[in-house]
Amino acid sequence: MRGERLFIAGMLAPAFVVLALFYAYPTLQNLLVSFTDLSLLGLKRGGNWVGLDNYREFLTGPEFRHVLFNTVVWLTALSVALRLLMGLGIALLLDSALLRRWRLSTIAKVAVLMPWATPPIVAVVVWRWMLEPQNGIVNAVLRNLHIVDDPVAFFADLRTVWPSVVMVIVWNTVPIVAVSLLASLQSIPDELNEAAALDGASRLQQFRYITLPFLMPTIVVLTLMSVFWTFNNFVYVWLATGAGPGTFTNVLATEIYIKAFVDFRLGYSSAVGIVMALVMAGFGVAYYRFVAPRELKEGM
Amino acid sequence: MTALSLDMASTGQARTRARATRSSALGAVVVLLLTAILLLFMVYPVAYIFYGSLKPGGGLLGDTAGFTLANYRRIFASGFFTFTRNSLAICLAATAVSTFISVCAAYVFSRFRFRARAALFGAVLLGQMFPWIILVNPLFIVFARWGLTNSYPGMIFCYTAFTIPFSVYMLTGYLATVPKSLDEAAIIDGATRFQVIWRIVFPIMLPGIVATATYAFLLCWTEYLFALAFLTQTDMKTLPLGLYQFFGDDRVDWGAVMAASAVATLPTLLLFLPLQSRLASGLAAGAVK
Repeated sequence: MRGERLFIAGMLAPAFVVLALFYAYPTLQNLLVSFTDLSLLGLKRGGNWVGLDNYREFLTGPEFRHVLFNTVVWLTALSVALRLLMGLGIALLLDSALLRRWRLSTIAKVAVLMPWATPPIVAVVVWRWMLEPQNGIVNAVLRNLHIVDDPVAFFADLRTVWPSVVMVIVWNTVPIVAVSLLASLQSIPDELNEAAALDGASRLQQFRYITLPFLMPTIVVLTLMSVFWTFNNFVYVWLATGAGPGTFTNVLATEIYIKAFVDFRLGYSSAVGIVMALVMAGFGVAYYRFVAPRELKEGM
Repeated sequence: MTALSLDMASTGQARTRARATRSSALGAVVVLLLTAILLLFMVYPVAYIFYGSLKPGGGLLGDTAGFTLANYRRIFASGFFTFTRNSLAICLAATAVSTFISVCAAYVFSRFRFRARAALFGAVLLGQMFPWIILVNPLFIVFARWGLTNSYPGMIFCYTAFTIPFSVYMLTGYLATVPKSLDEAAIIDGATRFQVIWRIVFPIMLPGIVATATYAFLLCWTEYLFALAFLTQTDMKTLPLGLYQFFGDDRVDWGAVMAASAVATLPTLLLFLPLQSRLASGLAAGAVK
């Protein structure tokens, strides 16, 4: 028994040493730095203890509400909702009897997966090129069809910048949702729908009372993962708009990066990081407690 | 009378059938139309990367010039080899280390029941939901102090750590499908635990390990945030950073950007598509289990 315990500890040790060095220690360090005025230019000198000043400045400043709203509503809620709806639509489409009968399912599935295989950096780049005002292909098509007269600067115009960013995110990340839902759809026994049809259930009723309950555990887990991925994401907003125009599309992740590496205020930036982690942790706990405790306990 | 009612019944049936065919024809058109729009939306941008990379201006509309390799020649002449080499070295090393460490941990998680098991496995999973951005400041401070910025070891450490949670999760899932009785039989025959892992379990789950390692490699290959923060010297940059070299201050060389994008995307497409069904089933199994 002692030998077994030693074996377990020895096999787990490398993973946990790396994880502790990478996640746990820096997180604690981040907490300490958030109470100082440490500057990126004065790393050797160190920072002075300023207590809760950084938190006070951020939480009472004008940027806080703006950034929080952008992160929660535009970046996270909108793109997660669209991703799930579109993913469900795609999964149902790929699973439709028609595509299966004409043997189009497989090729359509491979096609749907293409954006997932595209690195996020490249996804942003190619959409920026296609949506470019002067030579971009989308503007050219819109003008030729006389839908617009003047080119639309999708990533610079305040009316279009968020929808454009969200579209790029959804394009890049919807495949994993679609494919996961498709796998669950295909695990539903055919007899269930056949029996329901014999009993006179309409298509809509079959979807509501058979398909949806079957998909629920997957949807619950996908929602949780999606929210975390998106809320924490830095790359899409940073590369698509650089938080601009001005700070119009600034989110928590870009605010942390800008404060640390553009304004050199490591202490302040760390405080923003702690606020961000707390918001996320609060969401995780609430979701686990109230929204879906049953599904998640089974999933873990 | 009977004949009449029969007749009426059959016309009624015929009418319903006609309506059903009409509505199913309409349904077919809708399904096909939706599929066509979907495919255009999903595939066109990816195709456009490769098309644009072979055109002088990066694929302007109405561009009638022929295809050219000039964009590729231009990017490789301006340091793209170095970016590719850096990416390959860092990602391959990190993938190897991370996969080895993860196989060890996953084996223990799948084979033993011990007190802290659920808590430790939960802690590993937490890594997947972690806001990585908040690690950047403290890691930067430590790296700057120890001279690990602009170095392979620093990046390899980051990429090893950030792929471990995913790899442990996937591998534990795969290992659960390898029967425990195999291990027990071998141990009764006198094999040590290490022999069991290397001689019996490893060969059986090799496809799972390859799939996990490939995905870990792709995560590193496309990683941007840590590279942006910790690699500031041009000759140390990785491919994702190198891609943004071609965005000038006022002018963008779209031909070069598309060629660089194609180089970054080609490996992911080639590695990813054969892998996706295994990955998707693994993720779905994990989600539903």
